[in-house]
Amino acid sequence: MHESLLIYRNMRYLKWSLALVAIACGLYIFHTPIEEPNGGTWLGYTLGTIAAGIMFWLSWYGARKRSYGGATGRLEDWASAHVYLGLALVFISTLHSGFQYGLNIHTLLYVLMMIVVISGVFGLYFYMRFPRLLAENRRGLTTDMMLNQIADLDRDLRKHALSLGDESAHIVLNAVQNTRIGGNISRQLSGKDVDCPTSAARRFVEQFEGGHDESTRRQLVTRLTKKEDLLGRVRKDIKLRCLLQIWLFVHVPFTFATLAALIAHVIVVFYYW
Amino acid sequence: MKVFAKYVTRKSRGGIAQRDDLFDCQAIRIGRGTSCEVELSDPRILLEQARITVRSGDIYIEALSGGSVAVNGTLVQTAKVVELDVLEIGPFQVIIEPRENDSDVTLSIELLNPLGDELDNIKANAVMNIGIVGTSKRMWSWTLFAVVITALLIWPMAVSLFTPPPAINLQSGITYDIEPMPTSVWTSGGISSAHKFFGESCEACHERPFVPVQDSSCTTCHQTIEHHADPIRFTSASFEDFTCQNCHKEHQGDESIARNDQGFCVDCHGSLRDKEPGSTLRNVSDFGTDHPDLYPSVVVNASLHSISRAVSMSSIPGPRESSGLSFPHADHLRDAGVRHPRLGIIQLDCRSCHVPDEGGVSMLPISFERHCHQCHKLTFDTQLPGREMLHEEPEELFQQISDIYDSAALRGGYTEPEAPPVIRRRPGTPLSEEDRRVARDWAEEKTGAILNGRFGRGQCEECHTIFNDAQVGVWIVEPVQITEQWFPKSVFDHASHSDVGCTTCHDVNNSTNSTDVLMPKIETCQACHGGEGASDRVPSTCITCHQFHNDDLGPMKATQEEAAATLHRGLTVIQPNSLPKLAEVIE
Repeated sequence: MHESLLIYRNMRYLKWSLALVAIACGLYIFHTPIEEPNGGTWLGYTLGTIAAGIMFWLSWYGARKRSYGGATGRLEDWASAHVYLGLALVFISTLHSGFQYGLNIHTLLYVLMMIVVISGVFGLYFYMRFPRLLAENRRGLTTDMMLNQIADLDRDLRKHALSLGDESAHIVLNAVQNTRIGGNISRQLSGKDVDCPTSAARRFVEQFEGGHDESTRRQLVTRLTKKEDLLGRVRKDIKLRCLLQIWLFVHVPFTFATLAALIAHVIVVFYYW
Repeated sequence: MKVFAKYVTRKSRGGIAQRDDLFDCQAIRIGRGTSCEVELSDPRILLEQARITVRSGDIYIEALSGGSVAVNGTLVQTAKVVELDVLEIGPFQVIIEPRENDSDVTLSIELLNPLGDELDNIKANAVMNIGIVGTSKRMWSWTLFAVVITALLIWPMAVSLFTPPPAINLQSGITYDIEPMPTSVWTSGGISSAHKFFGESCEACHERPFVPVQDSSCTTCHQTIEHHADPIRFTSASFEDFTCQNCHKEHQGDESIARNDQGFCVDCHGSLRDKEPGSTLRNVSDFGTDHPDLYPSVVVNASLHSISRAVSMSSIPGPRESSGLSFPHADHLRDAGVRHPRLGIIQLDCRSCHVPDEGGVSMLPISFERHCHQCHKLTFDTQLPGREMLHEEPEELFQQISDIYDSAALRGGYTEPEAPPVIRRRPGTPLSEEDRRVARDWAEEKTGAILNGRFGRGQCEECHTIFNDAQVGVWIVEPVQITEQWFPKSVFDHASHSDVGCTTCHDVNNSTNSTDVLMPKIETCQACHGGEGASDRVPSTCITCHQFHNDDLGPMKATQEEAAATLHRGLTVIQPNSLPKLAEVIE
């Protein structure tokens, strides 16, 4: 799916977008208005109208992908066109601006739009790359299965901890009971826990000498190491899934901000004609 | 090999349920996958987690795909097992039973650790979904939408609607203290330098919402903007359908909003002869390569105030000026210098007479009193050393000279040897009737002699043209008219050319006749200036020398009454109202 998004229908929407950009660039080069090129010439108005149309259509993708029946066109068409027209929009709107920037709402609209497009490019990259990384990381397991395996290890650890001395038992039980997975955004995105009780317990047991028989110690080390490995994979799994979603927390709200700025931009341009 | 598998389930009320399976296989694969010989349906089990093989009667267990297998509580990778060994494969316990049913291997399989509390505990400590962290995308989206639309559209619009605009009118005074408005975030670009002082007040130009800026906004201040050409004679240059905004684009930054591109002018003036056959202007397309010769406006008859611009500087013979004055430049600028009555020999240069105005743009008018009189004293009689002929009022001259000699005759004391005794008498001596007659005759004769002699007419003739007026019977001085603007349709700034020597453009050293027109040829200008696209000259556009809105053509953006009046006046709008504008164009 993620590859076919870019090469979908023999890259039809890439070609359409390139054609659109090429026509716009050509017109821009040969257009010689009285003043510096800007959004207020006939070409400026034309490119602005096209850009505004594209922006509304791109925004509508959020609604389109939720409607499964009665919608026009296949969702794959929409997704592929969404990507390429979104990238074409950068060129169209830049030419519309005539490279004139300032501290005003028109440039703000441009900046907001660029944030949306750039976050979209990140999203596209994530969608192209992460499914493979996720699969490699999971090695055939689902997240729930990894959690189940961790639960099993915990059960074993708890059983073994019963025969340990007080201090060791406390540390191992702490690893069982207080190991946290995920958490707030930064913890999810970090993909690790530097204060992981499981790692602490493993280091403690590795250095632990005497007092208990060697085979119990080895069993504990083996299980704690295995749990650490599973925890690492689960945390990476969470990190990747978090990244797959978090760009949308930029992409979607800034799309709304862009639409608001676009409405203001159009009204203002004609309010002070 | 033959395998006998017993799946054991302990019931909650006690008792054991068992399902048996007997099958042949090469190796026993244990895992979640349906292809496994021993299928363990539990999410904690890998698809293939372990394999049991029998080699030479010995049973081996092997962990697959990184799965964990423990033998009697010890995690192993590969191990040899014997009867009654207990294998732990995930939550399952597999016991190598004593062989039954003639099998090679007998296994009992039991789920010891059903999914339970540990999993719940892990899940309680896990936050893995971004959606339950913080707020939702929808909330953020609508919040940002509301903030942007309120701060950038609704608020500025409300303030602008309820704030009366300051009055900006250069004619009635300037309002300087304009408060910044929130609508300034709407600006589409910097205000031009000239308009910056009221740039904060959008309503100064954008008077009504959703209505383009009207010309009346511009003419509030720019009341004197005049036509480009006579709108009645040259309809193609009337710009009737143009608004100010069509050419003057504001919000383009600090630059002037006056157009400066050559193409705009050349669009018409490149083929003006075809477009407006009635025009005397010649076609032009580029200053460096395609500009007509320079046609100075030359006084050709000072008495009739006739000015002609029919002859170009490049013509042979060139244009001749007839100003009514004789002034050979070369005589005054010669290397040997000229004699000053008080200072002796002095050297004159251009700036001795031609003084730039305070702005440095053009030269102040030459005046006899300031520039000539020091050397050219108008004394006429050695007996009257302090007396000079009147210069500025030639019509009074005859009366002045007559009065002077009448006075001398009456007073006496005029010591010229040739004069009669009565004239030379001691002043104050009473006169007889005969003396008076002699004195009056002498005064009359002397007046005529002076006026028509070397020191009267002769002295005037050094610089002026003199002719006899048959009606009055005396000679009169032709009126002098010196050209003040050689090229009235262009603007030349002497100050910006001050580093260039005067004679670079004005060939005065070889001028022995005052009829010489000492203006440069177009080639002189083109030596330094090229067209708009020139790469080896100063790029110069039409606006460098010419202006678009010309004088004396009537207001371009007139009120209806003004327009009607202009129309009524017709061609009178281009008639000159002062000299030396084109009083009479002699082709």
